[in-house]
Amino acid sequence: MRELLNGRIEPGKGPVFWIVGALLVIGMLFLPGLVGRYTLLNFNSFLLMVFLATGLALLWGFCGVLSLGQSAFFGIGGYAYGIVAINLADSPWASLAGVAGGIVAAVVFAALLGWLTFYGHLRGVYVSIVTLVVTLVIESFLNQTAGPQWKIGTAHLGGNNGLGRFSGAAENIPSLTIPTGGGNSLVISGSSPTFYYVLIGLIVFTYLLLRALVNSRFGVALAAVREDPDRAETLGYDIRLLQSMTFCIGAALAAMSGLLYVAWGNFITPSVFGVTANVLPVIWVAVAGRKSLAAAILGAVVLQWGAQQLAISGGEWALIVQGALLVLVVLLLPEGLLSLRQQYSRMRDVRSSSLKSQSRQG
Amino acid sequence: MGDIISFAYQYADSFALLALSSIGLVIIFGMMGVINMAHGEFMMIGAFGASFGFQWGLPLSLAIVTGVFAATAIGLLLERLVIRKLYGRLLYSLVATWGISLVLSQGALVLIGPSVPSLPNPFGTVSVGGMNFSVYRLFLVALAIALIVTLWALMRFTNFGLHARATMTEPDMAEALGVRTTRIYMVTFGLGAALAGFAGAIFGLSAQIQPTFGAAYTPIAFIVVVVAGSRNIIAGLLASALVLALVKTSFTVGFNILTGYVAMLVTALIIIRLSPTGILDLIGKLKALASQHRSSTAGTSAEETKNA
Repeated sequence: MRELLNGRIEPGKGPVFWIVGALLVIGMLFLPGLVGRYTLLNFNSFLLMVFLATGLALLWGFCGVLSLGQSAFFGIGGYAYGIVAINLADSPWASLAGVAGGIVAAVVFAALLGWLTFYGHLRGVYVSIVTLVVTLVIESFLNQTAGPQWKIGTAHLGGNNGLGRFSGAAENIPSLTIPTGGGNSLVISGSSPTFYYVLIGLIVFTYLLLRALVNSRFGVALAAVREDPDRAETLGYDIRLLQSMTFCIGAALAAMSGLLYVAWGNFITPSVFGVTANVLPVIWVAVAGRKSLAAAILGAVVLQWGAQQLAISGGEWALIVQGALLVLVVLLLPEGLLSLRQQYSRMRDVRSSSLKSQSRQG
Repeated sequence: MGDIISFAYQYADSFALLALSSIGLVIIFGMMGVINMAHGEFMMIGAFGASFGFQWGLPLSLAIVTGVFAATAIGLLLERLVIRKLYGRLLYSLVATWGISLVLSQGALVLIGPSVPSLPNPFGTVSVGGMNFSVYRLFLVALAIALIVTLWALMRFTNFGLHARATMTEPDMAEALGVRTTRIYMVTFGLGAALAGFAGAIFGLSAQIQPTFGAAYTPIAFIVVVVAGSRNIIAGLLASALVLALVKTSFTVGFNILTGYVAMLVTALIIIRLSPTGILDLIGKLKALASQHRSSTAGTSAEETKNA
């Protein structure tokens, strides 16, 4: 277990890393006491995107597959949560069934898409384009589902107004609800501290789990596929299976974000499949450093917060700044801001070794 | 009879739309392997440039040329500043051009505004046998065919075309033999941007010109490009646009526009599932299958001659 947590693939090990990480998490626990309900509502919306970002980092940074369709799984997870929860609205288990439905729907779709792409021997930019186009097609399909005939059970898809009462539909999408026995249940609204604590707990759990995954033999095989797919295949790895499995895990994570997003705001519209929704996770992960799960988590939260501050003060410039940031990072720091740290430690190593050789000569 | 003519008209129309909106992207992808995510924004710049040119009092044809120049200039600038640094790193160039597309479309919104005055459409309609046809649509078809033929001639008969084909097939060997491949790449990217800008300006004759103008054409162009593959740009583009337009038109006529769009995507997925390198290789495979089938049904005589 120790080996899995302190492995060779995910960067960041040693006591300093773990102590800083633990302090950060503990410090985060005090946030609900310090800020108002509105700030907490915003912060919850940043935190729930972390799963989407780690899923993309896993795929792109660890497996070398740049999926531009992560928002498809985000949206499928969100829509499936809404549809299941609306249909079971009377049951206390509605929202938990929605969580299961969202993840299952996304994974099934990912398996199908993975079979079409990876088992079709598609690679590189082809995978990126196919996933992007599929996402845009889902968006245009959902945009024309405004008519009353477009409903699943009691849930109206609602065209570009989307799902949920905020969009003008009669049905409301329930928040996260946990039955506590005896006919009672705990309703966790999107602006509540409980939602925040649930998110922090889920993020820590997901991070440790994914960390163990990428440091395991599976993760080493993924790194082999990323570095050189042909060589990995020659050495006996089933690269299509590895890529498809990672694609499904990434889809489950994106769906997790999607269904939490719906549970948070009680609505979803087809715009979650749009081009802008698609490019933002790529920006977070590319800027922070795609080869680290921790960097992806920090990147998602910090960049969303920064973008919101920019949007408050600079209006429409926020997207321009983010787009320019993406171009600059690709040109100057292809591995993201994380590579600054590696360059620093390499410089330190060079200096210390040259000092050593000097002292030896002296 | 009327149904057939109407179907042919719609088929030609969607062929023109697919070919014109993807021709710039196909060239850049075929020559450099780069997926230019800012393709739709080059189209938008072409339309914006044409609109500005027309407002300055230029005649419509010169206004369109203005749009083409604007798109080419920005394309060349981006090639020097960004794309050139990312040769051979295709995923990076995809991500970088995506950032550029965000900057260009949002920048147009902030600096220019949500829309610019539209261009006049000088074309009317003709009526043949009681049916009305838009001359503009027929013009698009003629233009698509003319552009494909011109491009073919450029590749086949000019010095540039020779060097470009050499660079496409064996970049290292071409460079060793004295072809300035970086210049070829630059010209190719500029040509792709120019064609995108031209298509944008022409489409701008019949659409509202907004910063998001190009976004609608981008996924269509991507579908055509992945199906076209990069073995033979012109034949690939032609085959891809012809097949996809046929599927799109059939399903649009039989059901509705959305079904046509989805059917086109599904067809594209099936084609690249069967043949990841594009439709030309699929046609090649089918031909090989057919000839195998023919030789096996033709009896053993062919087999015997081969053995002899």
